[in-house]
Amino acid sequence: MTPRVVAAIVRKDLRAFGRDRFFLFMTILGLVVYAVVFHLLPSSVDETVALGVAGDDAAALFADAAGLPGLEIVEYGSRDALADAVASGGGPVAGLALPPGFAADLTAGRPTEVEILVPAGAPAEFEHLAQGIADGLAAGVSGDTAATTRTVVLGADRVGDQVSLQEQMRPLMVFFVLLIETLALATLLATEIHGRTVLAILVTPATTADFLAAKSLLGTMLAFAEAGVLMALIGGLAADPALVLVVLLLGAILVTGLGMIAGSFGKDFLNVLFISILIMIPLMIPAFGVLFPGTAAGWVQALPSFGLVDAIVGVTTGGEGWAEVAPNLALLAGWCAVLFGAGVWILRRKVASL
Amino acid sequence: MTTAIRASDLSFSYGDVKAVDAVSFGVEPGEILGFLGPNGAGKSTTIKMLTGQLPPDGGSIEILGLPVPSSREQVQARIGVCFEEKNLYLNMSAEENLRFFASLFGADADVVWLLERVGLADRRKDRVSGYSKGMRQRLMMARALVNTPDVLFLDEPTDGLDPVSARAIREMILAEADRGAAVLLTTHDMYEADELSDRVAFINQGRILALDAPEALKLEHGTRAVKVRRRDGDGVAEEVIALDDADAGDRVRDALSQPGVLTIHTEEATLEDVFVAFAGRGLEG
Repeated sequence: MTPRVVAAIVRKDLRAFGRDRFFLFMTILGLVVYAVVFHLLPSSVDETVALGVAGDDAAALFADAAGLPGLEIVEYGSRDALADAVASGGGPVAGLALPPGFAADLTAGRPTEVEILVPAGAPAEFEHLAQGIADGLAAGVSGDTAATTRTVVLGADRVGDQVSLQEQMRPLMVFFVLLIETLALATLLATEIHGRTVLAILVTPATTADFLAAKSLLGTMLAFAEAGVLMALIGGLAADPALVLVVLLLGAILVTGLGMIAGSFGKDFLNVLFISILIMIPLMIPAFGVLFPGTAAGWVQALPSFGLVDAIVGVTTGGEGWAEVAPNLALLAGWCAVLFGAGVWILRRKVASL
Repeated sequence: MTTAIRASDLSFSYGDVKAVDAVSFGVEPGEILGFLGPNGAGKSTTIKMLTGQLPPDGGSIEILGLPVPSSREQVQARIGVCFEEKNLYLNMSAEENLRFFASLFGADADVVWLLERVGLADRRKDRVSGYSKGMRQRLMMARALVNTPDVLFLDEPTDGLDPVSARAIREMILAEADRGAAVLLTTHDMYEADELSDRVAFINQGRILALDAPEALKLEHGTRAVKVRRRDGDGVAEEVIALDDADAGDRVRDALSQPGVLTIHTEEATLEDVFVAFAGRGLEG
């Protein structure tokens, strides 16, 4: 491999990228729009909270609490219905499941236990709120007897990790930016292959390895630069910039591999667009998953992009460091090796077949 | 002096189809070898092997004394290739195209002078997407010369061009040969091959059928005769005089001394006639 030759091909491709009005427009527009949208999104959560309740005596017992300011009491027919509503993330912020004969046991001085149901990702304040209401309820029924409480977290326990819509959108925006750069690389490659200009390059001292290295460098540089700039604009580099940049670099390598695959199979812009979106849609699922708190299903965790998204969320939202993110980094690096390797292999075969 | 191109028993198959079958030839520095054959005869496959794009199934190649493909990079630094397809960067200018390829060679090429040679200096800043077919072909030729190559591989360099552009390209080919470059020219234009080539090779179904100077092939396989046409009353009389006959000189003189001579033509064979004689088919298709 000759660095001078690789640099010449990269310079030529950057010039070509700069002259493609569509990608130039999309790149700049993407950065501006995503940054603006991000800052328009609410950065805090609604202060009016809904508390779900279930149990034989619930309607009567919570009649007084329903009048408290900022609190909405929602009654469910069963403990399971309440749990489902709490776990969905769109229902009550927490739930109180009263056991059968709750009021009678308290009045008789018999021990009784209330279940506090909280969704994964709920702030600790919601659990404290539910705890306080349970204690007040017990005191109101029995005078001074307190009920025992047991907290059940529905999904992964992220209590205390309050996630605003801004923070939920951050990985998704990064993924959109990476998608645009995947498309840009794939289109450049498809043009090079179908215009057969690659053959003109390969009858000079430039080798296939030079060509592949240049395309790898270009794809990674474009994706990494744009994702890095976007992260800076939306405050994603505040927590641990070095760690976030490493995650983005791995993400850029991952999408470069995908761009090579799409570019090798694509024939024109629309074809490349179709293939790129087909590849990227499943990879977006983990980013969409952040919008819905809870433990990701096993198959979602197996997707190549899960490590990228989970690491971004962990560092930027959860304040995690190198040690905590290490498993995701390892997972991401593994997928990078697989997909980048596949991209290079497929592109090499495509070039050899011309 | 080292032979510029030497191919020995070169073979290549696409699956079960033998595209090139035991092809052997050599080209000396300053020589133009016309590679003539119909589409699918194996011309382009041979060029791909010679330029290191395709490893041969069998046989050996030496370019400027270096084996191919093992010395591919050293060889490619000293060759120029003009492809049949116009594989230029359309969103770049002619000057940018040449500068890019010069940078791949690490060559300090005078691209403006090259563009002047092909008549594109005035349009050198324009994007190639706005060029006509002839302009693109001339730019392809300039690109092949960006490293001042010792060996030129030209694949149908004038195909589909207008007469003016075709002539400009032919003049450049002759100038490169005069400079000392060995030229392998594939074409199915018999006139071009005859005008430019020092020797021609007829290739068909992957095999070389004949390899010699055009004149020698035409003499060997044509008819040495003169056809004289003259007015005869209300019609036209035609007399063919074989030049190998003992009294050929007298008969020609007699024919020309008679009144009413309209035309006189030599009846030598064309390269196409010779090719048909060898291959049993024409060059088209």
